[in-house]
Amino acid sequence: MNYIVLVKQVPDIKNIPEEAWDREKGTLRRGLLDNICNELDKQALVFALKMREKDNGKVVSLTMGPPFAEEVLRYALSIGADEGLLLTDRKLGGADTPATSYSLAMAIRKIEKEIFSGDRNYVIVCGMQSIDGDTAQCPPQIAEELDIAHIAYATSFNLDNGNLTFERIIRRGAEIVTPENYPCLVTVTEWAKPLNASFTRTRWAHSKELYKWSASDINADESLIGLTGSRTNVVKVFSPKEVRRKVCVFESDLCKLAGKLKESFTGTSEVVEETHQQKYQLPAGQKGSYKGDVWIYAEQEGGEINSASFELLGKATELASSVNEKVGAVLVGKNIKGLSKELIAYGADKVYVIEHELLENFLPLPYKKSISELIEKYKPQMMLFSATPLGRELAPRVAYSSKSGLTADCTELDIVDHKASDQQLIGILKQTRPALGGNIMASIITRNSAVQMSTARPGVMKALEPDRKRTGEVIEYVPNITEADLGARIISVNLHKSTVSLKDATLIVSGGRGLKTRESFEKYIPPLAESLGKFLNQESMVGASRLAVESGFIDYSHQVGQTGQTVKPRLYVAIAIHGAVQHLTGMQNSDIILAINKDPGAPIFNVADYGIVGNLEEIVPELINVLSSQGGE
Amino acid sequence: MNSLNKMDVLFVGAGPASLAGAIKLKQFLNQSGRDESVVVIEKADKLGQHNLSGAVFEADVLDEIAPDWRESKDKFITKTLANRVDRDELVFLLTDRLAMKVPEFLVPSSMHHKGNYVVSVSELVNWLAGIAKALGVEIYTGFAAKEIIIKDNFVRGIKLGDKGLDKDGKEQSNYTPGEILEAKVTILGEGSLGLLSEQIIEQFNLGNGKNPQIHSVGVKEIIKLPEKNSFGTNRVIHTIGFPNRQNTFGGGTIYSMGENVVAVALLPALDWHYCDLNPQQELQLFKSHKFVNGMIEGGEVISYGAKTLPEGGYYSLPEMVTNGALLIGDAAGLTNVKKLKGLHYAIKSGTMAAEAVFKSIENDDFSKQSLKTYEDLLEQTFIIKDLRGARNYRQVFTRAGTYVGALLSFIQQWIPSKLGTKPDYEGMRKSKLRRQFVDGIDRLTDVSLSGTSHREDEPSHITILDPKECVTCGEEYECYPCESFCPGEVYRFEDSKMILSPSNCLHCQTCRVKCPHQNIKWEVPEGGDGPRYKAM
Repeated sequence: MNYIVLVKQVPDIKNIPEEAWDREKGTLRRGLLDNICNELDKQALVFALKMREKDNGKVVSLTMGPPFAEEVLRYALSIGADEGLLLTDRKLGGADTPATSYSLAMAIRKIEKEIFSGDRNYVIVCGMQSIDGDTAQCPPQIAEELDIAHIAYATSFNLDNGNLTFERIIRRGAEIVTPENYPCLVTVTEWAKPLNASFTRTRWAHSKELYKWSASDINADESLIGLTGSRTNVVKVFSPKEVRRKVCVFESDLCKLAGKLKESFTGTSEVVEETHQQKYQLPAGQKGSYKGDVWIYAEQEGGEINSASFELLGKATELASSVNEKVGAVLVGKNIKGLSKELIAYGADKVYVIEHELLENFLPLPYKKSISELIEKYKPQMMLFSATPLGRELAPRVAYSSKSGLTADCTELDIVDHKASDQQLIGILKQTRPALGGNIMASIITRNSAVQMSTARPGVMKALEPDRKRTGEVIEYVPNITEADLGARIISVNLHKSTVSLKDATLIVSGGRGLKTRESFEKYIPPLAESLGKFLNQESMVGASRLAVESGFIDYSHQVGQTGQTVKPRLYVAIAIHGAVQHLTGMQNSDIILAINKDPGAPIFNVADYGIVGNLEEIVPELINVLSSQGGE
Repeated sequence: MNSLNKMDVLFVGAGPASLAGAIKLKQFLNQSGRDESVVVIEKADKLGQHNLSGAVFEADVLDEIAPDWRESKDKFITKTLANRVDRDELVFLLTDRLAMKVPEFLVPSSMHHKGNYVVSVSELVNWLAGIAKALGVEIYTGFAAKEIIIKDNFVRGIKLGDKGLDKDGKEQSNYTPGEILEAKVTILGEGSLGLLSEQIIEQFNLGNGKNPQIHSVGVKEIIKLPEKNSFGTNRVIHTIGFPNRQNTFGGGTIYSMGENVVAVALLPALDWHYCDLNPQQELQLFKSHKFVNGMIEGGEVISYGAKTLPEGGYYSLPEMVTNGALLIGDAAGLTNVKKLKGLHYAIKSGTMAAEAVFKSIENDDFSKQSLKTYEDLLEQTFIIKDLRGARNYRQVFTRAGTYVGALLSFIQQWIPSKLGTKPDYEGMRKSKLRRQFVDGIDRLTDVSLSGTSHREDEPSHITILDPKECVTCGEEYECYPCESFCPGEVYRFEDSKMILSPSNCLHCQTCRVKCPHQNIKWEVPEGGDGPRYKAM
């Protein structure tokens, strides 16, 4: 078995020097950031090298970038890769995901032919996403161009008697899958410690000759690469922070505070705000630049529709009415027709039901094939997916195969008119999303595409109140798929109570050095976390400042901050945490922050929305009482 | 791959001395058609990240390695040439408000800086590395040298530190043991307080009969000023007086780095008496002086760092050569305290070392005898001449304080005997400064501006030798001096023991030199860890 590992050189957004910030424009001077190898790609390298230990072969590391990107190839070689391949050409620059994916796929084809001598027994390993774009779109799109199966979010592999299986993360737990054919593509999440390079291997890597290929070396179709081949366009980059300074509301009445917290928590998300404009309306009779309905992908699992899909319907209703079109929902699976009633109640005018025996469990290839056929037949102008793990691996393949641009993880979707360099666009979708680790916001429009596609961040759009009296059309579609279209086989599924990691947590209660002892930390923090969790009907997690971890109050996996984890929960509670810069870096993007500290001058109050000054030994037990008496619903 | 850990010449530390030496050596080798390998290893993750200096640079020394550097269009050269010093002042700061400029004719010639260039040593290092790589020098970053390898009374190379150990020293899944690098000659350009240099000096008794080396610590902030600022460009200011008390040697500096950026630094000598002196806070105090504040008002601190520099001068210079090894730059103690300069010495010593090593390569003889050419060459340079001329300079200040010392400094070279020095830690007294709250940046924020980072789960590179000593020390001084003297934020005494935050370390090593009970062991952390200076 041979291996191709895709690596990318990205800016080091964890170590942003002060002078890289353009505070006036609110953007980052990317050129002043150091370049590093994408962390998840380092994980991909370890994955491939460990696979190779079990099933020997060549490990080729591939990157696309400017000449100095060869640094990441040197790194790959220094930890064990055999060959490094730099795909570099000015013509390839400025590419968005489909153009990049096409270019990399063409390079892979050439690797297969020339370096693997036509042997199709290889696995392509990628990091799940890169830290700058973090769209996670390239790996599935590369697989789509190569017409091979992909397995996303792998955390481990197993090789038994020549059978290669992967364990991967799904929303409700974990799944063991095996590819049906080779080559196949695997994307990995964080699963192991990155490897250290020895001096001797580093020295060897330093003088090893790299392959360097240009666009013509890989026989690339020039219309599909670089800017020309891109199907999206960034029209604006701006700062995510609002200009207003945060004002901390000091509330010593704990009953009132509990009430305010609940209101804020369940209210509209405070993520990103541009001045809310007048809702766009395409004048009746006038033609928009795109024609067709506004579709959403209704994600269903085990006979239940994911609530994020109802959020999509809410947004789709707004968008559709702006352009005088209808809302369609696409439902895929087996025995799911009955769910269309719910979709109609939440805003769908038409529900396209794609049912088939082979679609019982989610697999990217057959789902993509069915949806693409449907798009081909009914020609919507827009399609939205939720940026759930499933959405993030399905949407890129659907978009690529439908020759459409896709913007990932949008926090805002609006209809606008836009003057492009060569034409005036009417009633198109403006897609806004965070990038560079959330340090900047970008607004994007689709171009050169049949359909405008986006994935939307769950928890941001608002679902409508369901109207069970609503009626709509149910259109059944039988897809043209067979066993051969599956690409992979699910061997087993292990559903478990979701072990939310700190960085995905919605509610975190953290303790700092002010708690003084481990006993004290354990006495106040977990109980408050639990109590708040019950009160807000949300799973809660315990976090800690670095000083608390160093003092032994709790282990490192709970550390929040520059050297711990970066979190962005809906509510972050900081107890006895001073608020040093290093800690703030890790949690300041939380939607709501509550700080309890006995020092009124503690810098944590500069970023908090709510604050209580006083002794935590008195406040925390009282707060727990108030929360449990006010009770969860 | 066996020969991958063998090389001909190994430079430890990618600072200006090593890089200049590597460049010069490769030039000699290339010219004579030889292809001996020249390798430089550096413990920082990227070049320049662990380098810090003022710096007012006597750039003429670059003629040694790149004679037409003035014509170069490289960004570094353009920037340097634009930062020539045209305005140069020496200012006495008395109290926190009064400032008295010393008239030019009274300023000793050693403190005239006009015609020199203000540079960032991190940027200088990157420029030198570019030249070195183009000549065929191999430079590897992220590798920390841990031990000197000595066999049969000959230095044979070094051993690298391990990577991938956990907090308790156990091997993790990505454990990579440190390899032994064998070299015919090892050149130590580790900089101030280099541990391997100290190992060599001790093992080969190179410090016999010499004064103990003494140091200052420089704490420095880079400040971005508003467009319209009163400081201007092409200007340097040196200050004496506030906030240093008269028994603390040292002063402050304010240098224009061009493009509305200034470097502000304070350099207190490490033999200070005050057990609660906090150099980072003293820097804030310095900035708050009416004179200084007036010039940097409205500025934003964008970077912070700290580093020590050797100050013992001529009588503290060790022998710099032994079988299979030599010392260059700060590691050899080659700094000029009078001029407050060391970069050009570092570069010059590097080129002298290159010359000596090249001869040794031609004769295939790396013994002390053969390498002694280096010391002979140094003797003939301005370096040793300067240092001999200032041989009692630093010492008179220790004995007589700032003002009397300043007077005595004019006649110090006529003092017939060698004035001794005492190790820095012996300077600690029970006196306290008792500073009031100082406005400015707090130390932890400044530390975050140094970009320093260490793998959270790695073994601590700092060890308290005997925890009981800390308790004794606290009782003795009624405070814990290390909590103050560390320019980083590493030491905190709580619940009757010293708690360490080694990730906040700036690698300056003030701690092991200043601890009055000599109770701190500092070792080099895992390669790649430490500060991330960009333009210090």
